[in-house]
Amino acid sequence: MTSATQQGNGATATAAPRKGADQPPVLVYENVRKMYGDFVALNGVSLQVNKGEVMCLIGPSGSGKSTLLRCTNALETLNGGRVLLDGIPLPTRETEVRKVRQRMGMVFQSFELFPHKTALDNVAMGPITVLGMSEADARKRAMVLLEKVGLESKAGNFPANLSGGQQQRVAIARALAMEPEVMLFDEPTSALDPETVGEVLNVMKKLAQEGMTMIVVTHEMSFAQRVANWVVVFENGAILEEGPPAQIFENPTVARTRDFLGHLGWNG
Amino acid sequence: MNFDWNVIWTHRGALWDGALMTVGLTVLTMLLAVPGGILLALMRLSSNKMLSSASLAFVEFFRNLPLILVIYWAFYVMPIAFDVQFSALTTALVALVLNVSAYNAETFRAGINSIRKGQMEAALAMGMSRRQAMFKVVIPQAARRILPVLASTWISLFKDTSLVSVIAVSELAYTSMQIRAQTFRVLEMLTAMAALYWLMGYPQAKLVDWIHKKYGVKE
Amino acid sequence: MDVDFSPIIENWRFFAGGLGVTVLLSVISAVTSILSGLVIALLRLYGPRWLSTVLVFYVDTMRAIPILVVLVWIYFAFPLLAGVTFPPFWAALVGLTLHIAAYASEIIRAGIESIRPGQTRAGLALGMSRAQILRKIILPQATIRMLPAFGSVLTMAIKDTAIATVIAVPELMHRAETVAGQSYRPVEVFTTVMVLYFLVLFPVTRIVDRMYQKLAHLGRS
Repeated sequence: MTSATQQGNGATATAAPRKGADQPPVLVYENVRKMYGDFVALNGVSLQVNKGEVMCLIGPSGSGKSTLLRCTNALETLNGGRVLLDGIPLPTRETEVRKVRQRMGMVFQSFELFPHKTALDNVAMGPITVLGMSEADARKRAMVLLEKVGLESKAGNFPANLSGGQQQRVAIARALAMEPEVMLFDEPTSALDPETVGEVLNVMKKLAQEGMTMIVVTHEMSFAQRVANWVVVFENGAILEEGPPAQIFENPTVARTRDFLGHLGWNG
Repeated sequence: MNFDWNVIWTHRGALWDGALMTVGLTVLTMLLAVPGGILLALMRLSSNKMLSSASLAFVEFFRNLPLILVIYWAFYVMPIAFDVQFSALTTALVALVLNVSAYNAETFRAGINSIRKGQMEAALAMGMSRRQAMFKVVIPQAARRILPVLASTWISLFKDTSLVSVIAVSELAYTSMQIRAQTFRVLEMLTAMAALYWLMGYPQAKLVDWIHKKYGVKE
Repeated sequence: MDVDFSPIIENWRFFAGGLGVTVLLSVISAVTSILSGLVIALLRLYGPRWLSTVLVFYVDTMRAIPILVVLVWIYFAFPLLAGVTFPPFWAALVGLTLHIAAYASEIIRAGIESIRPGQTRAGLALGMSRAQILRKIILPQATIRMLPAFGSVLTMAIKDTAIATVIAVPELMHRAETVAGQSYRPVEVFTTVMVLYFLVLFPVTRIVDRMYQKLAHLGRS
């Protein structure tokens, strides 16, 4: 990871270009607005996600980071602005939205494994139902992915017989089964016991090393600092600051970023 | 006062037929009212405002009326509305099916809504259509919660079939009371009626208990 | 099809009287059912074993036998056995209470059992007697949770009073049948009575629904 060199008071310049900057960005958010009744969740957010980048969205609860993630795969509709995937705005017709969703994988805070299916069938479900793959092929692919997350021995288990960390790893495998271009993580470790957080973060780190484009909403600051290529700090539905982890965690330009990290007990 | 309990044995044929009719009505009504309830629930859950309101109105209508009144009303209104003479049995069936469908609609709707929103979202996020998500993820889970309630509705229906006796359908209650009128054996026939319902109903009640225990929600 | 509502308008007092009996019978049987249900539930939970078995049998029997059968038996058959006659209203009251109390006792039993055992233990630790714990800790909490279910008992009672027509109780359903028979205008009569029942039941079911929503967070997890 390249580190920032400080110039003057607060301003920074990166020594190397941002990862993936040599290609057009995978995702572009243009002035995205989202409201729930009177509450403004996203207040005209503009952001760009590069190919192969690991982007972490951090910030206090209710600051809009999860909302932005859910707008990305159209689980939420926009009240203003656009989201562009590979330069094309997200469609509105459900049949086309579904095709876009197939290109993105999402991992939820509450895992949301399907309790009435085994781990293997959970992972195979996407390919069978959505891609029309045969059961045999889908199961083969599912097994490979379960091996990848280290859970091939639990393939026949139902979610109720898996620990939280194991369930989340199966959930990651399930999302990967669709061979997405982008992986969206919505606070993947917030509901886990501290002991199991590590096993999930390791899987995510491996994915990052393989070059997957990832957007991760998280409170795990050490993960953000060590694995992210780009960190975006949210507050009150807007971006407070964004930059490489070194900038955000060691030399933030905005005072309130410092406050937020300080509140978390982050000594850098 | 002398009692002649023999009269029950003498008329066992008619009583047996009455009991069969009771069971038949229950089974047939439920067979029709389950799809009926599903249809109404889907209408209610659809995004189409008209379908949703129509379903809501239908369900509210039957939730707020005594069944015996619905039976009478159907008996008098159906011939006039459709200009056809219906048998009492058909009328009874229509009234029962409409009534139970309304209750089933609520059961199915509540069952489906009790499944966490996140399950639907996880399915959609994979690229499933709403329909696929419903049928592959939500409904299989909801079925577990719906079954015990459906079992309770079944028992209520079984008892409610006695109400169609008021329009002279020959189920157990009507048959027993007819025999009472013919033989003047009031205590014997009415006790027999109660006993026969008990014999049929008690095991069903126990079965419903078992279903509740087996499929009870352990969230 | 010609429509003639005059028999209803002319007999409005007759109908009003019937409606009054319906409301009276419903409310009284709802109250007696809940009170009886409370006694039955407490006896089942805290009484001797043999009594519990008898009461379980009673409750399950009422789940198996239709209310129509119970009402008819009490009004027509019981007098032959005991030598006493009941006027229709009282026969209906006894029959309805007998039937609905079983259901009410199950609600109350479930409500009491839904209170965490820790609550009882806390009371015992403070030195309270079992009766005090029941009265001051368990019942107040359980009652709030059971309120919506009690509302359902009331709607049940209102609908079941209509069945009392078969034993000639002069409630609304019976009055409707009388006027329909005399005026040969069953469609108009029964439609009007439908509206009346709906107007009585709808507010009650609405309130019950709202109570269920507001108290949902207190339900057993």
